[in-house]
Amino acid sequence: MAAAAVRLRPGPDAGVGAPGLTRQATTDNVSAAAHPLGWRASGSDGVWSGYRGAQRSQLLARRGLVSNVLKSLSVTAALVLGTLAPVHAAVVVSSKLSSESAMIGEMIRLMLDAAGIETVDRMTLGATPVVRKALLAGEIDIYVEYTGNGGSFFNMASDPAWKDLQKGYELGARLDYQANRIVWLTPANASNAWALAVRKDVARANNLTTMSDFARWVSGGGKVVLACSAEFANAGTLRSLQKTYGFTMRSDQLIVLAGGETSATIGAAAAQTNGANTAMVYGTDGGVVAANLQILEDDKHDQPVYAPVPIIREAALKANPKIAQIVKPLMQSFDRTTLQQLNARVQIDGEATTTVAADYLKSKGFLK
Amino acid sequence: MTSLPRPHVIDRLGVLLSLAGAAALVFLPFVVLKANRIMPGDVRSVSEVLPLWATLSFGVILILVAATAIGIADARVRLVVALAGVAVVALAIAAAGNALTPPGNKVVRVSPGTGFWVLLIALGLMATDAITRLRPGPGMRVLFLVLFAAVAGAALAHGMFDNLSIMREYAVNAGRFAREARQHVFLAVGSLAAAVVVALPVGVLCHRVPRIRAGTLGTLNLIQTIPSIALFGILMVPLGALAAAVPWAAEFGIRGIGTAPAMVALFLYSLLPVVANTVVGLGRVSPATVEAARGMGLTSRQILTDIELILAFPVILTGIRIVLVQNIGLVTVAALIGGGGFGTFVFQGIGQTAIDLVLLGAIPTVALAFSSAVLLDALVDVMNRARQ
Repeated sequence: MAAAAVRLRPGPDAGVGAPGLTRQATTDNVSAAAHPLGWRASGSDGVWSGYRGAQRSQLLARRGLVSNVLKSLSVTAALVLGTLAPVHAAVVVSSKLSSESAMIGEMIRLMLDAAGIETVDRMTLGATPVVRKALLAGEIDIYVEYTGNGGSFFNMASDPAWKDLQKGYELGARLDYQANRIVWLTPANASNAWALAVRKDVARANNLTTMSDFARWVSGGGKVVLACSAEFANAGTLRSLQKTYGFTMRSDQLIVLAGGETSATIGAAAAQTNGANTAMVYGTDGGVVAANLQILEDDKHDQPVYAPVPIIREAALKANPKIAQIVKPLMQSFDRTTLQQLNARVQIDGEATTTVAADYLKSKGFLK
Repeated sequence: MTSLPRPHVIDRLGVLLSLAGAAALVFLPFVVLKANRIMPGDVRSVSEVLPLWATLSFGVILILVAATAIGIADARVRLVVALAGVAVVALAIAAAGNALTPPGNKVVRVSPGTGFWVLLIALGLMATDAITRLRPGPGMRVLFLVLFAAVAGAALAHGMFDNLSIMREYAVNAGRFAREARQHVFLAVGSLAAAVVVALPVGVLCHRVPRIRAGTLGTLNLIQTIPSIALFGILMVPLGALAAAVPWAAEFGIRGIGTAPAMVALFLYSLLPVVANTVVGLGRVSPATVEAARGMGLTSRQILTDIELILAFPVILTGIRIVLVQNIGLVTVAALIGGGGFGTFVFQGIGQTAIDLVLLGAIPTVALAFSSAVLLDALVDVMNRARQ
């Protein structure tokens, strides 16, 4: 179970040790949020050793003049640097590389723009560790994270809270605020976690909507052929599902694809390659719509929930408190089908994320 | 150039390329039709896609190209015929794209198949082989490059390839493409410029003080062996800490992610070739020349700037050429740490399993590296000729 949850998502991300980042970010947030002269707090930590050295030399009467000159110089420097200090007027909106996070990021940016908040576009900045690091360093202000990733950020992937959307959101929000002064805004009611999807004709014929239905069908001799990645089959995700729902897949019921991309598994189920009728997918995968598949509900909450949630630096939110209220109705407007359909337009039809984002906002009346 | 026609001589490279091209046409898919961006595609051959007259003329022209490749020795004829072959294959793939795309449909993807690529490579090899035989001067080579780029650019601007999958990806990403292209060139050239400023004095010092030579080159060699992705990753930590600790560092763009670590990593990789070539170049200047200069009363500084560096310049320029081509490739990885460049498309494409998006990043990178190699090679040639 734990092994499956450790992965970051979505995409080929690697975990990053959170403690180091945390410390670094706190220092930065202090300086970012500080009063123009506030940098002197970090100066006394030894960065401006010239200044500290000056204080010490003050004890020596003969060097008093030198010390005063140095002191006034450093105060002048402080004033100059203070005016340069990162007081972002514009909100830097960013995203991970995946099309879903870029699309939601684009929507957030468009809505902030419409509300008269100046924004800077840093979309598709990098994989999860890079974007996360950029946020902690204050280089970006807001991006869309996934609730379940909190488990790997804070090294507590085995905590059962991540398997519940609300509990996982609350735990992640609390930890991230305490450690990094990062505020988690409203999450979407959808999970991008690994799931199983069956062909719609098979689902209809056998009355399958949940994983419990699926387990009953498989145990009762249902003709299932699952296309999945080696990681899914071996790293514990499938085993965990089998244990929770009480079913067993024989090896001849599995088609293990080397690459392990969901587009490949979905393609196999859609084309019924080697009789495949079930595919490993991500919850909000765009391919699910195109391939006429139906996702089976994880009704016993075996898998961690990966709900998209915009996260923002407290400093940026304080500068523009309206952001929380602007983002809320947008995130609440998403459910799994909506995101699948929007993702399909980007992933399958190849439309630009900007176009899809603007279309959606207009259709929902968020933009005129 | 004065070779007489010798029809009975069979060109071995020509036979090989003709066989490869023929096999590609018969056994490999010329074009792949996908119902949408990520689904597996159906393969189509030329005859399935083009009307009969076009298929026949396509075949006849390629047979003539093959005959030229096998039986005609005149390099000028071979070059013209090979380029004609490239044009015909390009026209065929453009026509295939238009034929397979239902009007107004933006979802289906028509990609060039492996057959197309093998054919293109065979024709490209025939053309480059002909160019090599012609031994064109540096000016001529640059002219070839400019002409080729102009024709390719005009074809792309005209929109004849717009129904092909890569151009579909371009259309979606057109706004970002220019931005990433600028960033790519900025990172490659900027880090090179910074490296030259540092590496030249270091190289001169290594030449003058043999004691530090082995140590310096050894250290730079060591840096060169660090895998690029690891070096980018390693730099994120100290630069991030610097940005967090020193407020003005962040203001000047020194941060753990983005341009700064990419620039520093590329700078470090650029040092070795320039330093090493400076040392080698200076070492090749004959002691007699330096003696003569000294005899004429030139100061040590004048000898360095007016004699030694001038004579060593072609070798140093070769080092710069290596660095530029190497950097253009390496910048791709910078996308992983938020540095931007064409790598953004590559990694986004990998993430979305959209191979066309990967190509949208990869093909311009290759074209850029190739063009800069040709340009700097020509420059090195000009320098060498000027010296003789």
